[in-house]
Amino acid sequence: MDPEAARTARESLDLAFHMSNILETGLDRHTLSILITLCDLGLNPESLAAVVKELRKDPSSAPTPKDPPSVS
Amino acid sequence: MEEDQKILDLVKELVLRLLSPNGADSGPSDHSIDHVKALKYAMRILGSRMTPSISVDEAAMAESIKRNLVNEGKSSDALTFADLYAKFSSKSGPGSIHNKWGVLYLLKVISEDRRKEKKSDSRVSSGFFASTVSGGLPLLFDGESDNCRVPRNQKTLDKGWNGGVLLVSKDPENIRDIAFREFADLLKEESEVAEAVLVRDVLYACQGINGKYVKFDKSIDSYVLPESIKVPRATRILVRKLCELGWLFRKVKGYITQSRERFPAEDVGTVGQAFCAALQDELSEYYKLLAVLEAQCTNPIPMFSETEKTGNYLSLRRLSVWFAEPLVKMRLMAVLVDSCRVLRGGAMAGAIHMHARHGDPLIQDFMRRLLRRVCSPLFEMVRSWVLEGELDDIFAEFFVLGQPVKAESLWQEGYRLHAGMLPSFISQSLAQRILRTGKSINFLRVCCEDQGWADAATEAAAAVGTTTRRGGLGYGETDALESLVTKAAKRIDKHLMDVMYKRYKFKEHCLAIKRYLLLGQGDFVQYLMDIVGPELSEPANTISSFKLAGLLESAIRSSNAQYDDPDILERLRVKMMPHSTGDRGWDVFSLEYDARVPLNTVFTESVMARYLKIFNFLWKLRRVEHALIGAWKTMKPNCMTSHFFTKQEGAIKLQFISTLRRCQVLWDEMNHFVTNLQYYIMFEVLEVSWSNFLDEMEVAKDLDDLHAAHEKYLHSIVEKSLLGERSQSLSKTLFVLLDLILRFRSCADRLYEGIHELQARAMESSRGRNKSRSRSTDESLECGSWTGGGRKALTQLAGEFFRNMRSDLDTVANEYSSLLEGFITQLPVQQHVDLKFLLFRLDFTEFYSRLRPSTYVN
Repeated sequence: MDPEAARTARESLDLAFHMSNILETGLDRHTLSILITLCDLGLNPESLAAVVKELRKDPSSAPTPKDPPSVS
Repeated sequence: MEEDQKILDLVKELVLRLLSPNGADSGPSDHSIDHVKALKYAMRILGSRMTPSISVDEAAMAESIKRNLVNEGKSSDALTFADLYAKFSSKSGPGSIHNKWGVLYLLKVISEDRRKEKKSDSRVSSGFFASTVSGGLPLLFDGESDNCRVPRNQKTLDKGWNGGVLLVSKDPENIRDIAFREFADLLKEESEVAEAVLVRDVLYACQGINGKYVKFDKSIDSYVLPESIKVPRATRILVRKLCELGWLFRKVKGYITQSRERFPAEDVGTVGQAFCAALQDELSEYYKLLAVLEAQCTNPIPMFSETEKTGNYLSLRRLSVWFAEPLVKMRLMAVLVDSCRVLRGGAMAGAIHMHARHGDPLIQDFMRRLLRRVCSPLFEMVRSWVLEGELDDIFAEFFVLGQPVKAESLWQEGYRLHAGMLPSFISQSLAQRILRTGKSINFLRVCCEDQGWADAATEAAAAVGTTTRRGGLGYGETDALESLVTKAAKRIDKHLMDVMYKRYKFKEHCLAIKRYLLLGQGDFVQYLMDIVGPELSEPANTISSFKLAGLLESAIRSSNAQYDDPDILERLRVKMMPHSTGDRGWDVFSLEYDARVPLNTVFTESVMARYLKIFNFLWKLRRVEHALIGAWKTMKPNCMTSHFFTKQEGAIKLQFISTLRRCQVLWDEMNHFVTNLQYYIMFEVLEVSWSNFLDEMEVAKDLDDLHAAHEKYLHSIVEKSLLGERSQSLSKTLFVLLDLILRFRSCADRLYEGIHELQARAMESSRGRNKSRSRSTDESLECGSWTGGGRKALTQLAGEFFRNMRSDLDTVANEYSSLLEGFITQLPVQQHVDLKFLLFRLDFTEFYSRLRPSTYVN
């Protein structure tokens, strides 16, 4: 990765992070970078958003072992 | 696969970070069971067939985010965001983010989710809330994306990973889902043609152009989708309904082009042209609408707040909403075109006006606009007609028709109303007034050679407030038109009346006609009768009208008529009516008054013919009166005759006296009749009518009034003089009576001539015998005549003569009395004229009424 590309990548990330802050997504920089990478890999942003939403829920209310999603 | 592994790693990392936000205590070894479960769950979500519900449009997405921010009242944030986005999108090349749209979308959804969560804590309610907010029911059928999209609300159901609902919703066998899918498939199967294409076709059809699928079908006379193309029935009907507009358009357009083509060759007329132009303008409005619609038809619906993916802006249904108003107008235009196809000019304006009476303000407005245009040539014609008297109507569209006529009949026949061309918004009375005003101007111009009317017209226009410029009036300003016409009419009529009275001395001429033609000037008539009498007794063909003219001249000079205006006297002429053999001068002689332009508008030929009729009657009456007076002169009992006959023997003397007496009585009776008739004509017919006429002349406001007054005057004279149609039998009797009186006159003349002759003979015979006798006394001479020789023969002669005369007189008397009785009994029967006074005068002593039951015996 040449330095030019790295710089562009960083700047893009900065901009994205800034936007994310304005939109009050509550994502930190690292998480955001992961999400962006996943997006670029072609994952559906809507499902990604769903994942973020679901998992970020109060960790305490995470599913208990006795009630697993049975279908998986 | 390497990429899959990479994704897995990344997801692991993501889950880790999300579950433990601080991230410090996390490590690969520290995988709790929660983490594993969460990871599985995440992978399942990612593996689901969730697809974005909107199309990929980065700019629109950014715009939508910005708008949301603004809506939340964070405009500064929005500005910052816009700025950031501008920079963000400009990044390109290696190292930059490829899926920018994805990132934006991700951020947006996360942000929205966070916000919703903030609003309600409860997971369930937030789920329902999300589902309702994010679009309610799912979109059924998406024409572009091939598969049936998972409804968005399923996403919210998905999150119920700890609830049983999730199982059902994820089930591909889900009944509702299947039903939707099947329905969508069905729809797709049914329609070969996409809606967007149909929309475009309909737009074409509405401009009268055949589309790709929608074509004009001549056999059923409308635009249809051919049966061969498979579309749902509803769509087919909708297309057909929409294409009504196209059909109407074709009709209107066709009419316009047809009229345009016809225009120079045939007479479409200015109103027709104006109508076409107005229609054309309306059509260009319509073109504008179509152009906008066409431009819009490929654009998506601009809906930023919604994440729904939308179809093209124009669907057939939307089109039907857009077409609602133009359709009403176009229908109206088509109706107008249909009803006006054969009409022209005023009739066309009237027909259009009929449609303007509509309750719908839209239609009212439209019609008013249209009519203003259509009627403008018509109003222009009215204006120039009323103010300038000009009839610039080459296509015969105006409701006033002009005809080339001679100057004297200009007023009567030159112009008339054309009822067919009179639009209904101009009332009949107004039309009459318009007609008369223009006619007055033309009359002034042509017949009176007067220019003063122009001032009157300008004054009128100024008074109303409209200028005399073109286009000052329009449809819907009927009041203004009416006041203009009224004012103009008032002034121009007044001017015309002034000209008639002052310059052309209408009243003076009427008086002159009354004095000379109706024999009102007694001394003149008397003198004329005296001098032309001998001349007129000659056969008609031997009489020279020049000589009569000379006699007329001398009659004028020797009567008071000589002080009259020479202009009037100059117009008085002798007229010989066409005569047949055996006619006497009396039958053909008449006086004539040359009215000349412009007075001959009132004194037209037919009017003069009626005057002539009255003149003939009056002239005859005068002549009879004159004859009776002449008879009286000879009949005057003078001492010569009476003395002579009193000396005669009994039988002759008796005969003589009784004959004379008979003659006298008859004369008296006739004289009574003629005098009273004369009196009646003079004082109850002529003078009364004249005084009424004068009154009416005073109040006459225009030439029509004047004309009517004169007509009334003449009519009353004709009727009252028993010359009218209804009293024909009466007037016939009257003329026979008058003829009889003339016969009596000649009879009486003969009688007295005979007496004189007898006298002379007797004298001669006595003179012959007594030549030597001195003519000391006439008495002795006369006495001697009867005693001399041949006396017997003379007596015999006298006896025979008296017998003859006696029988002649008896015949006349018998005829006369029976005729008179007939005349008198007819008088009360006349319903239309008041003859009471005539009857009363004739039968003053009730002599005739007492006689009536029996026949009149001598």
